[in-house]
Amino acid sequence: METASTDEQMVERALTGDPEAFGEIVRRWERRIFALAFGMLGREEDARDATQETFLAAFRNLRGFRGDAKVSSWLHRIAVNQCITRQRRAKVRNETGLEDEAEKNAAVFALPSEISPARAAEGKQRSVAVRIAVGALPPDLRQVVVMKEFEELTFQEISEALELPLSTVKSRLYTALRQLQMRLEKFGEPAR
Amino acid sequence: MTKNNERPICHRAEDLVAYLYNEASETDSQDFADHAKQCDACRSELAVFLQVHESIVLWRNEALGTFSPVSQATDLASTTSPVKLIQHERKLSALQALREFFSVSPLWLRGATVFAALLLCVLALVVISRSWKQPTQVANNPTEERVYTSTQFKDAVDKAVNEKLKRSRFVTPPALNVASKEVEVKPSKQQSLTRRELARNSSATRSQRLRGFTRAEREQLAADLLLIPGRDEADLPSVFYEEPNQ
Repeated sequence: METASTDEQMVERALTGDPEAFGEIVRRWERRIFALAFGMLGREEDARDATQETFLAAFRNLRGFRGDAKVSSWLHRIAVNQCITRQRRAKVRNETGLEDEAEKNAAVFALPSEISPARAAEGKQRSVAVRIAVGALPPDLRQVVVMKEFEELTFQEISEALELPLSTVKSRLYTALRQLQMRLEKFGEPAR
Repeated sequence: MTKNNERPICHRAEDLVAYLYNEASETDSQDFADHAKQCDACRSELAVFLQVHESIVLWRNEALGTFSPVSQATDLASTTSPVKLIQHERKLSALQALREFFSVSPLWLRGATVFAALLLCVLALVVISRSWKQPTQVANNPTEERVYTSTQFKDAVDKAVNEKLKRSRFVTPPALNVASKEVEVKPSKQQSLTRRELARNSSATRSQRLRGFTRAEREQLAADLLLIPGRDEADLPSVFYEEPNQ
């Protein structure tokens, strides 16, 4: 609670022209926003860029920040929008993003016998499979999974950030988990 | 309980998710645990979802383990001063920004923008060609047929009337030139001197020439003249040329 109110104070200070205040907000939230962007985009470079773009957008729209919402919810909402825009751009440019990679690698992961049997490599393969499965989720499901699993936000926080009813958040997460489970089964993953 | 993708689904899906992530209240949690003991669907889904959750956590730890928050913080902190943020933002050239805008915008918006740009070009061309054409028509060919606006036409008529009046001043007796004098004294009233006044002046001159004859006399004279051969017809007033018996 205290952190949230301090974040709001930081925003107020930033609005009055304190150059350090916004830097403090960035330092507090950059790791979480990066995690969210990484979960959404699946590539570190993209996630870094999206994180920077999120804070740039936040800085530009500092005056548009509504005091009734939490700074964290506001930042998460901006980050999700940045990631979605970025994916759309990448699609137009035909860049290989998470979704395309999922399609491309689906055939490979459908043959679990071809995956290296070495135990060390197994964990790596597993996380690759998860990454691809998450990337193949529709954006509205993916953002809920990432916010829950990567950022460990509560359902209430996700609901505020995405401006969705609590029950919608839960049902989306349930659907996402089911789809992930089916995809990972196809890849020969969690049903080990 | 329903079946989907060969797996039973329980209607308590939301409770299951809340229980899985420890977000259910103590009462709800106990209630769901009791339910799961009897519900195969919930029990199996709980087990599978736990595995999925573990897989995601593994991926997250691997991925974010390589991420250095210090370097990221330094990078971001260095760009968060307002000046640097703005500088970073302005690195895009106008062309790049336009290209990026087009890459993100939907197809209909791109089409509409192109159509609007073409329409603007056509309009600009029309305006330029019209404004370029008009002055040459009036100024460059004074001897040719000119296209007048209503104001130019009025000015030309007034000018012609004035010239006519000036000329008539030399040929008409001073008594008849009152109107012309008035025109000279009050130049501002020149504009209001209409063609009707000019017609009145000219008819006055003509009636002066024909002074002393009544209409009956003139008709009689005409009749006489027609009876007398060898008389020069050019001396006759022009009105007699239009006799219907010709």
